[in-house]
Amino acid sequence: MEPLVVGDDILDIGSRKAVDRYCGNKAQLGLSQDLLMGRPGAFDVPNVKDPALYCSSHFRSTCGTGDAGQEIKFAKGTTTLAFKFNGGIIVSVDSRATQGNYISSQTVKKVIEMNPYLLGTMAGGAADCSYWERRLNLQCRMYELRNGRRITVAAASKLLAGTMASYRGYGLSMGTMITGWDETGPQLYYVDDDGTRLKGKMFSVGSGSTFAYGVLDNYYREDLTLEEAIDLGKRAIYHATYRDAASGGINNLYHVTKDGWVKIHAIDVNDMHYEFEEEKRNEMSS
Amino acid sequence: MSVMTYNGAAIIAMAGKDCVGIAADRRLGVQLTTIATDFPKIFQMQPKLFVGLAGLGTDVQTLKNLLEFRMNLYKLKEERDMSPKVLSHMLGKILYSKRFGPYFVEPIVAGLDESNKPFLSTMDLIGATSEEKDFVVSGTCTGNMFGMCESLYKPNMEAEELFETLAQALLSSVDRDAVSGWGGIVHIITKEGVLTKELKGRQD
Repeated sequence: MEPLVVGDDILDIGSRKAVDRYCGNKAQLGLSQDLLMGRPGAFDVPNVKDPALYCSSHFRSTCGTGDAGQEIKFAKGTTTLAFKFNGGIIVSVDSRATQGNYISSQTVKKVIEMNPYLLGTMAGGAADCSYWERRLNLQCRMYELRNGRRITVAAASKLLAGTMASYRGYGLSMGTMITGWDETGPQLYYVDDDGTRLKGKMFSVGSGSTFAYGVLDNYYREDLTLEEAIDLGKRAIYHATYRDAASGGINNLYHVTKDGWVKIHAIDVNDMHYEFEEEKRNEMSS
Repeated sequence: MSVMTYNGAAIIAMAGKDCVGIAADRRLGVQLTTIATDFPKIFQMQPKLFVGLAGLGTDVQTLKNLLEFRMNLYKLKEERDMSPKVLSHMLGKILYSKRFGPYFVEPIVAGLDESNKPFLSTMDLIGATSEEKDFVVSGTCTGNMFGMCESLYKPNMEAEELFETLAQALLSSVDRDAVSGWGGIVHIITKEGVLTKELKGRQD
């Protein structure tokens, strides 16, 4: 398989123009026909009859016991959330990575700062998320250079969803939220490894998402103030880390504004536990 | 998830100078979801004899009741207390009696014998017993616990130092295990009595 050559018009993939342009001199420019049609051609795949089946049964990166039979167990298990409110978007994540029961790290950066105005979150396979989101960043930058303006969040998320769809069945594991503020306002999209792409106001992804949804659904309002929204994002992650064994570590929280994103805080969830315990005690006594 | 890691557990016992300590985490979970943060895994069978049970939660509770029953019978028949060695052997036999349908528990026995000498033993789920002079571990993060014990342990520690060592070993081990932790409890048994302390651990 020929490697992908950066600088080619990858955003013309699938169009007539691209096919005409490259069909003749594909060897010179190093782009394979497969890549043009959106099929996975940039990666070496195992030399077997059904590479998709082989990959998904040996290199699958799933939650729970999906990878029970295979030799390689990838780092995963997480809680990430993002919600839109009148003051922008809050993105709040934990920082734990687990391999089976072993906690491989408590300091993973699950918010991928793609560029100063776009954020992506990481849930599922750590390598899958960070690689494909960095690749998305490349595509966004190419778009900017070619078109003289920033890419919209809708278009960026669609590029990612398209890539995921073309690798469907290969056992990739990625549940991410792409957020940013473009000319249409603050936008939040959920994209996952089977090519699902959903636009929404509030999402939570990962093994601890059910716990986070409980807290979010209870207190969410569109007209939250910035302080209330930050507090909500913080609490939802805290409750998820308390109940979910695969989430924990540090809560990294970001705020997406018109002028780009801002990192609000990085607080150890254990410290939050004792802070909230103190709060509960005071409330009970009053 | 395997049946031994379904609920999650971490237990360490260490011997000191004329004292023993036994410590456990407090979590009860169902796979990745934490259900309780006050689940007892260490049981006081006699004033100076403790049993720690790590493994499937239901078998922990069942085995504890069974052991108490057998112990009471022994006391009635023999008219004396059970020594740690006898309890350890009895437990091994009980576990082997279920060889083809075992209790999914890997117990630890820790106590002071009649001459107040420390006694430690551990066994696998079908009763293979091993007595140790220094420390024994059991649970879902034995790799971590062995590492911590090997590095922190010194022979002939006094009760206070033993407590510190046990606490540090346990907390650092469970912080690298997703299914155990959420606090800890430590019992130090000396010839004067038992000192019990709760540990403030990471709640994630």
